[in-house]
Amino acid sequence: MNPLQGNVDDFGMDTISLAGPLEAKLKAIRAAGFSQIMLSARDIVGHPDGLDAAVQAVRASGLRVTGFQVLRDFEGLSGHLHDYKVDIAKSMLEMCAALGSKILLVCSSTSVHASQDLDAIARDLRKLAMLAIPLGIKVAYEGLSWGRTINEFTTAWEVVSRADVPNLGIGLDSFHMFATQTPLDDLELLDPEKIFLVQLADFMWQEIRSVEERITTARHFRVFPGEGVHSDALADLVRRLHALGYRGDYSFEVFNDDYQQIPLPVVAQRARRSALWLGEDVLRRSVPLPNQMRLRTRAAA
Amino acid sequence: MSVSPGGVRRALPASVRAQEEDTVTDASNREAIADMANPLGMEGIEFIEYATARPQALGQLLETLGFRPIARHRSREVLLYRQGGINVIVNAHAVGPGQGQGEAAQGNPVIAAVALRVRDAAAAYGRALERGAWAVPIRVEVMELNIPAVHGPGGSRIYFVDRHREFSIYDVDFVPIPGVDPHPPALAGLHFFGIVQYIGNGRTEDWTDFYGELFGFGPLPADAAFGILPKGRILRSPCPEAAAFYLQLIEPEPGILEMEDTECFQRVAFGTADVLATVAELRTRGVSFVESGRIQSDDKGALTQTRLGGVSFELVHHTRGCTR
Repeated sequence: MNPLQGNVDDFGMDTISLAGPLEAKLKAIRAAGFSQIMLSARDIVGHPDGLDAAVQAVRASGLRVTGFQVLRDFEGLSGHLHDYKVDIAKSMLEMCAALGSKILLVCSSTSVHASQDLDAIARDLRKLAMLAIPLGIKVAYEGLSWGRTINEFTTAWEVVSRADVPNLGIGLDSFHMFATQTPLDDLELLDPEKIFLVQLADFMWQEIRSVEERITTARHFRVFPGEGVHSDALADLVRRLHALGYRGDYSFEVFNDDYQQIPLPVVAQRARRSALWLGEDVLRRSVPLPNQMRLRTRAAA
Repeated sequence: MSVSPGGVRRALPASVRAQEEDTVTDASNREAIADMANPLGMEGIEFIEYATARPQALGQLLETLGFRPIARHRSREVLLYRQGGINVIVNAHAVGPGQGQGEAAQGNPVIAAVALRVRDAAAAYGRALERGAWAVPIRVEVMELNIPAVHGPGGSRIYFVDRHREFSIYDVDFVPIPGVDPHPPALAGLHFFGIVQYIGNGRTEDWTDFYGELFGFGPLPADAAFGILPKGRILRSPCPEAAAFYLQLIEPEPGILEMEDTECFQRVAFGTADVLATVAELRTRGVSFVESGRIQSDDKGALTQTRLGGVSFELVHHTRGCTR
């Protein structure tokens, strides 16, 4: 198959799966036939020629930016801790906007200093979303499976609903969903328009016994969808999201130490194989027509 | 640890939620008083500010509309124009070569700021920051007023002004132009009616929440329309009736390429009791109006032809007593 055949447009790679400088990552992802990329703040601020050069490299790559990650431990703080985190959030939002990213990913707080009051969490998320509005950014709030208060997508959805602001939605990460074994039937609770990002990853063990093992697995041993032992569950998840009406992006959130030490094109090809499996075998996407332009969709009435 | 997901609900459209919440009765809200809250004590628009590298051309255009230059800024190339209760600031100081984007970079006028009259500017500013507004760093010279501002759409600013009764901000920062009436009457009773804001695709709800949360604006019903260009969503300011004004949020037409997502204050609308008489009077002063296709001057409204790369003004049939 020609490397540019097959519909993988719904799927993107994440820079965290690859070693090396930003430009090499962009090139490898593009060469594997992907059209989008999930960026980390580290890619941008760590660029040897600075922020502007990093932004320029991303724009020149022709890749669409799926989203920008990650703001951590933002919500539930008070006093000077809150003010400090608002400053951090503003810097993240400015970088996000400079990159042309429409999505900022926010992970639920693990901080023991943070309030566990859902209304306080919702209030902070609402403020973050307000900060994002003038920049045209949507905030995707993800329940980290080791989050202190919010660690499942169901509770993440609860606070997003309480915060009740149009540019705040949830980000789903299959790893965390499977790790906490939250029933996928609960996806029915979600409004598909408020799912702003879905991150997919597989892993190699059937069961995760402790929080420590969960964190280690999440940060070092993830693999691309279809490479681990949760392929059926991932296929089920993607089909459920499709049936629910989700038509947004899927990004491969694959943290893997081995992938950090093999050539970028090899990793990108593994990602491509995963995208083809999901796009063609699972979702049965049709191949897009040549020269198709991306047009605006009419906003829902 | 996990928190029970009890109470999870689907997000509902704001209008539906509002209805739901209206029907909730509790002991503290027996009368369901529906008056729109005015959390900032807002009382209309103090001024609109244009930034341009062509201040004289814009000034001439404003004069055809009945404005008079009445004062100069003490330290910057900034001029204050006025008619009736409408203040327009023309700022040639803010835009230099390489600054700004789009029209501003060309030197063409853009609406750079809107100043809201509020009860307490410091309180309004603090409240907005508390809720997620971006503070605009203020650069004031010696003996000039520190007027707090937050970021609006595009690169614009939204100022909070509370000194509009006992003395005005212009008394401090501006020097009157000698021999000029500082209070020229409004031509044909023109007054601020509102501002049209262009927004990105799918951004109506975002901006509705932004203006609602930070300033207390509320959406009008979808069938509410003013003037001859009914489109998008209209938000009403929380001001008392005599000072109320409107923001009209307009998304791009469907089918436009994705990159054309510019967001900005696009034009100012003035209210007048008799649109056609005002059009006739302005025509004699050299103002041209759009008369083509579906846009025609009529008793509901009119639109001036675009000048200086993007400046137009809208007239809207609207009556109210002078607010000053």
